[in-house]
Amino acid sequence: MTDLIQSRRAAEALAAGQGSDDPFAAAIGATRMAMIVTDATQADNPIIFANDAFLHLTGYGRDEIIGRNCRFLQGPDTDPAERARLRAAIQAGEDISSEILNYRKNGTSFWNALYISPVRDETGALTHFFASQLDISDKKRTQMMLSDSQHGLEQLVAERTQELTQALEQKTALLHEVDHRVKNNLQLISSLLLLQNRRVSDPAVKAAMRAMLDRVNAIATVHRRLFQSDDVERFDVSAFVRDLVADVMGSSGRNDIEFSLDLERVDVAAAKAAPLALVISELLSNCMRHAFPDGRPGRIFVGIKRTNGDFRIEIADDGVGIESSAKSSGFGLTIIQLLCQQLKAKSETTDAQPGTRVVINLPVNGARP
Amino acid sequence: MYEQSLGVLIVEDEVLLAVELEFLLEEAGLHSVGHAMSSTEAVTLAHDLNPDLALVDVHLCDGPTGVDVARKIHDDCGAVALFMTANVKRLPDDFAGACGVIGKPYSSHGVKTALEYLTICMRQGQAPGPAPIGLTLSPQYAALWGLDAVMPKAG
Repeated sequence: MTDLIQSRRAAEALAAGQGSDDPFAAAIGATRMAMIVTDATQADNPIIFANDAFLHLTGYGRDEIIGRNCRFLQGPDTDPAERARLRAAIQAGEDISSEILNYRKNGTSFWNALYISPVRDETGALTHFFASQLDISDKKRTQMMLSDSQHGLEQLVAERTQELTQALEQKTALLHEVDHRVKNNLQLISSLLLLQNRRVSDPAVKAAMRAMLDRVNAIATVHRRLFQSDDVERFDVSAFVRDLVADVMGSSGRNDIEFSLDLERVDVAAAKAAPLALVISELLSNCMRHAFPDGRPGRIFVGIKRTNGDFRIEIADDGVGIESSAKSSGFGLTIIQLLCQQLKAKSETTDAQPGTRVVINLPVNGARP
Repeated sequence: MYEQSLGVLIVEDEVLLAVELEFLLEEAGLHSVGHAMSSTEAVTLAHDLNPDLALVDVHLCDGPTGVDVARKIHDDCGAVALFMTANVKRLPDDFAGACGVIGKPYSSHGVKTALEYLTICMRQGQAPGPAPIGLTLSPQYAALWGLDAVMPKAG
């Protein structure tokens, strides 16, 4: 009780010092900002003044708090580190601001934006502390909700990213697997044709099988090329032609036929690769089979270039000419016609005097500009 | 070295491909010494038959074991290994000691040209020129055969 009496006296002294009709004292008493004054000269720094706003905020009566240290506001979930920081500032006589979890008389908690500043007399000796309190529970709640929802979002993004990465890995693995099977099966088909061809003796059957083998090889070359590039949706026609010509030239055993190539880099959609490859292969095979009979030497020219809106593919030979060659390969010509129809391409065969020139004009639509 | 026709071990689990390969070997002036379908069979035959060259598919009947087979054949048997696979992109950077790869699907002409080219490389220890289309040499063998300045064209 002595403490309480001492604190009341100190409060009276404080009021006397300021004058009871001091408008500042009146303002502090009436403001909505909770405020207290403590006596730094007494042991344990007790509260000697509290305004109505403080009583309203904390739920205590004035008699219950005058003479007590304000640590009764702290409770089980108050951050010990923040407590220690306050204690250190008060001991050092420094001002401090803090956001700390405090408790009302009824046990409910609130977030307190606390500001404490020391008050000194004329000699500079520490006499009081002035403290203001502001309930910032709403702000804290919003902050926590924001941080929760942000955390939740981050987690969602992380989960989704992992799902997508997994899906991509699966897709890539599947693509490799399918690619592998397609290539192996094409190899198997071509080996079957080769093996049977070795057993056949009828020259007509042999020629038909050889032609079929060339077609399978053309498709096989497409697949080898398609997955070599990183872009599996585009097909480099000129690179294909280079491969195909090397193969056709080498396997023909005809050293007397010369090739000249003039190939611009031209890409078509992967879906068009096989039909276009078949057309080119068929035209080349026609040249090889029919343009240079009986050891007649000659030249074959293959040109690919971009013209306005079209890809222009030209295959020309200086062999025996259209009259003698066209009759001989009915099925091959049918294939060319049908595939050109499918590709919406125009095929034009002219007399190259000597020899034959075939020009295919393929519309570029959907191709890379 | 390698005065006679080169003896080749075929390591391939598709029998039809292996049989057709044997014909191609003969046509290119080499000869088959044996055919293995699994990794254990391949390593055993490589030890017993002492082939000069082994044509190795990556996927064998006991799984994707061809890479290990090539490494063992190269390290333990002193033979030159050559991959023949549809999975060119999945080969290790050092080609597991193999001299190179022929990508599937190959053409018969492509294989014959590659085998003739390799025969010259092995006999002379020196490449006659850049690797033909369809054959990609490993960096080690390209250097060994004097091609380090001219990178072989990827086929």
